[in-house]
Amino acid sequence: MKNYDNFFDETPFQTAGPFLHIGCSPNSIGINNIFKNDLGVLPFEKESHSNFISISGSVFDGNSEALNDVMIETWQCNEKGEYIDGQGFARFSPNAETKKFTLRTIKPGIVKDLDGKFQSPHILMSISSRGINMNLNTRIYFEDDDLSNDTTLSIINQKDKINTLIAKKIDKFNYIFDVYLQGNKETVFLDI
Amino acid sequence: MKSLIRRNYEKQPIADYPDYKSSSLRAPKNKKIYIPSSISEISGPKFDKNIIGKLDNDLTLNYSHNNKIPIGQKIIVHGKIVDQYYKPIEGALIEIWQANASGKYLHPNDQSNVPIDPNFCGSGRYITSSDGSYEFRTIQPGAYPYPNRGIEWRPMHIHFSIFGKSFGQRLITQMYFQGDPLINLCPMINSIPNEKAKKSLISSLDLSLSETDKLLAYKFNIILRGYNQTFFENRKEGL
Repeated sequence: MKNYDNFFDETPFQTAGPFLHIGCSPNSIGINNIFKNDLGVLPFEKESHSNFISISGSVFDGNSEALNDVMIETWQCNEKGEYIDGQGFARFSPNAETKKFTLRTIKPGIVKDLDGKFQSPHILMSISSRGINMNLNTRIYFEDDDLSNDTTLSIINQKDKINTLIAKKIDKFNYIFDVYLQGNKETVFLDI
Repeated sequence: MKSLIRRNYEKQPIADYPDYKSSSLRAPKNKKIYIPSSISEISGPKFDKNIIGKLDNDLTLNYSHNNKIPIGQKIIVHGKIVDQYYKPIEGALIEIWQANASGKYLHPNDQSNVPIDPNFCGSGRYITSSDGSYEFRTIQPGAYPYPNRGIEWRPMHIHFSIFGKSFGQRLITQMYFQGDPLINLCPMINSIPNEKAKKSLISSLDLSLSETDKLLAYKFNIILRGYNQTFFENRKEGL
């Protein structure tokens, strides 16, 4: 086996800025007449799935202020652990007043990876905004799952850091997942 | 196993860049932790071409009221979405947003005392064809002042958001215009520590596609991450 490295550089990132909704979710700011729908409003059609959950939280900056100008995007498999075309993508922002976001989705299943190993149920999360030069990637895991053999968490390998990626269970259908951009609770961000 | 080519952070903006004030409270202090690609990063949302309306990539018409056209200089912005081997990416979703000719965004957060254009909203989207190409018709965006270290001016730019095949290929960036003297003064561009990488965000005037009597064209190619290629029993994998 031989590795090839004769490739071009990836185009550099730039901040999405404070006005990203114009391009990414225009209907959410009242620009209603151009695109049929905003993308990622519903990650799964509600009728066809029984185990819907809500994941709520805020994104905090270095002053512990909850932000309302960020865009969050998530990508996940279905309850059987399968990534399916046309399902699993969500895009949302925190509420302007409460500064809380809510993702209504199905609980993802255990993922069988390309090498045959298993990953604990998880959701990929990407955060973009003014002041973020390159969108930040992290993962959401779930408190009530067995996380002992997950490949990604075993790479992180520090309990307090791993805890920043675990959604806390409130009841059967509700979880809390807060993101800290800085500070002693700073979320682990991943170079994916 | 298929994996994404590892990111080269020497060619990417510095997260905590003091000249760009907003980054100071939002850039994480800890180093990102590298994880090898799993199926979660290799897979990604796929967007069907039928979500794209006929005028979604023509910003000169998609917010026009009573057949009135927006004010400003009409331009074409076009190019290709390719991977790191310059292989075209078909089916990539491109979303763009920009200010109008006066430098005003149609957004409740833009409080500047500059007029909106009732026939221009600054949103466009497109899904690439088999050769990876895209084209937008739009209005030359204006430069505008914003608060940073005192008041500074943003160069003329268009925001781009792109989804390729994999969630790990996701890219959000900005395109600038050849010859704009504000480019070298901009801390957001200067947060990229590599000159060649900075220049790759500047579109070039493309007279070959310009319509002499109507509009100018600018070319901007975008490179998304590729997959590691390995030779295994003389057969190329990961392509």
